[in-house]
Amino acid sequence: MPIRDLHILPKVRDSWSYLYVEHAVIEQDDKAIAIFDKEGKTPVPCAALSLLMLGPGTKITHSAIKTLAENGCLVAWSGEEAVRFYAVGMGETRSSANLLRQAAMHSDPELRLRVVRRMYELRFPEQLDPGLSIKQIRGKEGVRVRETYAKWSRETGVKWSGRFYKQNDWRRAEPINRALSAANSCLYGVVHAAIVAAGYSPALGFIHTGKMLSFVYDVADLYKAEIAIPVAFRCTAAGENRLESRVRHLCRDTIREQRLLGRIIEDLERLFASEGLDRREAELFDRFYARPGGLWDPDEGEVAGGINYAGDEEEDDNA
Amino acid sequence: MTVIILERVPVSVRGELTRWMLEIHTGVFVGSLSALVRDLLWEHVCDQMREGAGFLIYQTNNEQGFALRSCGPTSRKLVQVEGLFLVRIPS
Repeated sequence: MPIRDLHILPKVRDSWSYLYVEHAVIEQDDKAIAIFDKEGKTPVPCAALSLLMLGPGTKITHSAIKTLAENGCLVAWSGEEAVRFYAVGMGETRSSANLLRQAAMHSDPELRLRVVRRMYELRFPEQLDPGLSIKQIRGKEGVRVRETYAKWSRETGVKWSGRFYKQNDWRRAEPINRALSAANSCLYGVVHAAIVAAGYSPALGFIHTGKMLSFVYDVADLYKAEIAIPVAFRCTAAGENRLESRVRHLCRDTIREQRLLGRIIEDLERLFASEGLDRREAELFDRFYARPGGLWDPDEGEVAGGINYAGDEEEDDNA
Repeated sequence: MTVIILERVPVSVRGELTRWMLEIHTGVFVGSLSALVRDLLWEHVCDQMREGAGFLIYQTNNEQGFALRSCGPTSRKLVQVEGLFLVRIPS
């Protein structure tokens, strides 16, 4: 069933965060997505889910991916604790208003700096001195991150000697680093899903730059100290048994407690100061899937689309 | 809100439940109970259901907004995947 009115999909804040599946086949079954394994089949409410993480030994069909994409569920293929590949549909809005705003603020150095400052301000309980340069704020942020790791190491008794995640580094096998990788996978995936759902680009980062997921790293950093780090330290302190699975379970509870899915969207709106913008046009695109978009015009800004602008003599098929 | 769904249980169990809840369809009960009353009542129903089976669904403050419990040989099985409730239909 193609979704014609996107309002039928739950809002990001009402969604369930993620589901991790391994050693199973995911297929479309009676218009639903179901996980098939030796025990039987388990339907997955994909419209209510933000992120489906596929672990080792999973197979997924063409029609299952199509349905997941249509229902705004991000699919992530993750290998040994690290995510290798994401597949997304068009998100849960057909309006490019948010993306255009993000691009405009990204390409204007002054506005970009304002967003970067806001991003840092969100992380510090105290007001940042307006006289601080970005370089000084970066230094402050470095101290904050180091102190966060040290604090959780003290509280949980888990030894902390730095973040190692080079694949060929033997120290990568340290439980705390494995737990952090698993917690970050969940956090990045959920943040990525929210960014796409709200119609922003995961690539246009403001602090991070140059990668296809720069903006995901920007936004995930706002919450890492409250979600991924405490979860990883707590789970590691409890032992190594089923470590990654316990991390994913505690991550879910923490994401719920911290109201993460609701907060991401609010924070994005605040970052781009897009509260109170006229959303009527965007609403119409989301409600009527076939509504044509406008055409850009250097003088008028935008003219109506879906109209043939040819005079009587010419025919133009591209209107 | 609490929902209890029972199959193949003695009639007396269903009759008794209607003192607390509304039976809107055979074996489907809905009501609002405190956590304590709900747990004691569910325990009592599980004790009395003999070969029957049932599900308990109640609102709670988790990600899904509700939790599920089952008792007896229900045809569908509850699975909890890292804190997310799903239902398995055995092959």
